Amino acid sequence: MERGVMMQSGREKKLLRLDPRTKLLMFLVMVVFVMSGGGGELMLAVIPFLCLLPMLLLIFSGEYRKTAVYVLLYAVCYGIQIFLLPNTQGALNSVLLICCFITLRFMPSFMMGYYVVSTTTVSEFSAAMGRMHIPDFITIPLTVTFRFFPTVREEASSIRDSMKIRGLTLGRGKPMAVLEYHLVPLLMCSVKIGEELSAAALTRGLGRPGKRTNICKIGFGWQDRIIWILCVCAGAVLAKEHFF
Amino acid sequence: MKKDGRLQGKDFINIGIFTAIYFVIVFAVACLGFIPIMMPFLAVFVPLIAGVPFMLYLTKARKFGMLTIMGMILGIIMMLMGPNWPTVITGTVFGLLADLLMKSSGYQSVSKSVLANGIFSCWVWGQFIPMYINTNYYDNLATGYGQEYTQTLQGYMQPWVLPVLLVVCFVFGLLGGLLGKAILRKHFLKAGMA
Repeated sequence: MERGVMMQSGREKKLLRLDPRTKLLMFLVMVVFVMSGGGGELMLAVIPFLCLLPMLLLIFSGEYRKTAVYVLLYAVCYGIQIFLLPNTQGALNSVLLICCFITLRFMPSFMMGYYVVSTTTVSEFSAAMGRMHIPDFITIPLTVTFRFFPTVREEASSIRDSMKIRGLTLGRGKPMAVLEYHLVPLLMCSVKIGEELSAAALTRGLGRPGKRTNICKIGFGWQDRIIWILCVCAGAVLAKEHFF
Repeated sequence: MKKDGRLQGKDFINIGIFTAIYFVIVFAVACLGFIPIMMPFLAVFVPLIAGVPFMLYLTKARKFGMLTIMGMILGIIMMLMGPNWPTVITGTVFGLLADLLMKSSGYQSVSKSVLANGIFSCWVWGQFIPMYINTNYYDNLATGYGQEYTQTLQGYMQPWVLPVLLVVCFVFGLLGGLLGKAILRKHFLKAGMA
């Protein structure tokens, strides 16, 4: 597997150990404030600081290349937005505007999402969901879904490659045939992998009645507290903009 | 396979797997949604293409609740992708309706499966609701896509378009169901997987 999303353990360096619930909160804060652009004038000033958060976290988890790409792209787009946009017109202006918008809005949340899934193991995630008293019928499918995304994506890209060899890409060939020859193999192999996955999980006692135990140590440490305070502050700013 | 009974581990895993497949398709289509003019076309392509995995899923989902949970989880993931909380509601409600429909035939009837895809597909509709109830949706969009673009979109999205989109979701869901049925018959029955 290309990257061990939500399955490896010990990937996170010991320098920074966050509770999965804190990570979820950070992700939500990013989505609400950065992606959807909630908040007003005051928030506009806060957003770039919020965007530093994924950068720091990625550095701590040792993803230097991704951090560099992220910071560079963000800085360039931010610069364009401030210096170039007011001085351009017409089509160029629209293109720049849209590119910057997508990068500035979506990339920070995307990086945060990447950080969350790449540093959380399945066990940690289900332990955290258990602590939050989320019922099993949501926790298990959700875990499986996140665990399964990279697999589906990987299979899909292999299938796309092999169909490219046969000249079946969008734009060439009948759209219906293209669709069929992409979807059917994808479904076939996903179902097979899924069966193996459920066999593996059942072997580990997933189907047993009763409460499942977990040896993952999760809990809030001082790092979590700092982030919670930051997130609460961001929430307070939003509340102030909207209600006062 | 047992027709009813409580959902067990295996069912939960099946829900997860098919939700992942479903979502990958939604995501591929939703990339078109970055171009706001293409937004309404989500209602066409998602039900149509995702009909294929959904019909296969229906052959695995033989217990009450599996469609509801799938709708709910799809909604939760869509909400995480961008704060579209109405999707959680539409996902759950239309999932439940599809579940009730399938239950009435003991999860066996093929024609009801097609209808179920039509109903389930209506969850996509939740994606459009913020355009109408969020008063600052367009202001927000205008900061990113420019005034002209936003006004064009706003021109398309008249109030009467909202119910029309629901119908579009449903109709293309039916078509997607038929497509799924044909593909299932052609490929999966032979392989003994459906």
